[in-house]
Amino acid sequence: MQSDPAKQLERNARLMELLARTALADQQAFAELYRLTSPHLYAVALRILREAAPAEEVLQESFVNIWHHAGSYVAAKSQPLTWLTSIVRNRCLDQLRRRELETVTMDDEEEGVAIAAEDPTPLEMLLSGADTRAVRGCVEALEPTQKQAIALAFFQGLSHSELAQHLRQPLGTVKSWVRRGLERLRDCLDRAGVTR
Amino acid sequence: MNLHDPERADALAGEYVLGTLRGRARQRLERLARTDRIVADAVRGWEERLLPLAEALPPIAPPSRVWAAILARIRSAATAPRARSLLWAPAGWWRGLALVGLATSLALAIALLKPGAEAPEGTLVVVLAGGDAKPALVATAVRTSRYLAIKAIAPVAVAPDRSLQLWMLPETGNPRSLGLVSTIAPAGVARIELPAAADRTLQNIPALAISLEPAGGSPTGLPTGPVLYTGPVQRLY
Repeated sequence: MQSDPAKQLERNARLMELLARTALADQQAFAELYRLTSPHLYAVALRILREAAPAEEVLQESFVNIWHHAGSYVAAKSQPLTWLTSIVRNRCLDQLRRRELETVTMDDEEEGVAIAAEDPTPLEMLLSGADTRAVRGCVEALEPTQKQAIALAFFQGLSHSELAQHLRQPLGTVKSWVRRGLERLRDCLDRAGVTR
Repeated sequence: MNLHDPERADALAGEYVLGTLRGRARQRLERLARTDRIVADAVRGWEERLLPLAEALPPIAPPSRVWAAILARIRSAATAPRARSLLWAPAGWWRGLALVGLATSLALAIALLKPGAEAPEGTLVVVLAGGDAKPALVATAVRTSRYLAIKAIAPVAVAPDRSLQLWMLPETGNPRSLGLVSTIAPAGVARIELPAAADRTLQNIPALAISLEPAGGSPTGLPTGPVLYTGPVQRLY
């Protein structure tokens, strides 16, 4: 969405208000919440699930869930869009897991992993998503291999074995790229005071 | 998975939020995050670090059927009275219906349509409710007939430069228009001609919806205005 910090604050305040009104069963507020956030959340789901039909289903399930559980959103603990994104992402990952369970038994030979070819690439997004200087610095400080593995896992929903296949590297190597990359990102962000 | 080691718990929470933690390990961490403060805080910390990165994705507007389906679902589940839509008349006997739930109002609606009689055998009934879950319109058709009768059970006011359009919401795919609902006077009935017998036309159609469109109907073939009323298709046969 926006990268201007003042606009972000304003947007967050608006989303918090809409969530609070949604918790009181205000359908107009809920419609506004949907209008403001669904293009962002749909993009998240579409990236991970790669097909429109399951992405639409996840979006529908998520918003029905948000309607019923908006009251459990605790403003002090996380940003509204972060909370909404976590609901959608978790449903996407659950669906990927179900798909894995279905396909594993059918054939052991994994198909090639199709990555959406359109711009921007996951790596570019990782950098542009890091919109404050501190976050960008931390993302840039990662090793290129770490950066790529994290970007593909985060935006495309690739599992360790899919990463290994896509990057043509042994599973163990890819796992350690992810693990070290995350550690490094956490240490850097925490030092910069971005989180915690 | 040893989650008593905070370092390890944090690393797993990171993989959980990143999405690389899969299968049973994922479920186990999810369960633990519900009961264990340390794990829950670790997950939240990672969500704060990683999820804002998702804002870099170029937004994509979802198809309108997603919102129509969400509305249909939250309304059919609605039990509490909702905020009143502007299109609703402020007073009337039907306001009490808000409290009785859709199943009861379905029976009431049928009773209204055919005073003193049950719905005839082989009838399709759709109770269309607005934003406050109050039934506003009832659509009925004998399953073999090619007409759908729509009766207003609450005042429905439409500006002269707007039309109400009736849509079928299929399980998959875009809403399909059934045509315009001509302005209905209170207690009036509108008739909509169907392309085939009602049971065939509405086969695999779980719900109908009415949207507010420019006069003459949606210019795009898909709903463009707000969805005012939705309701599940009930088959009484």
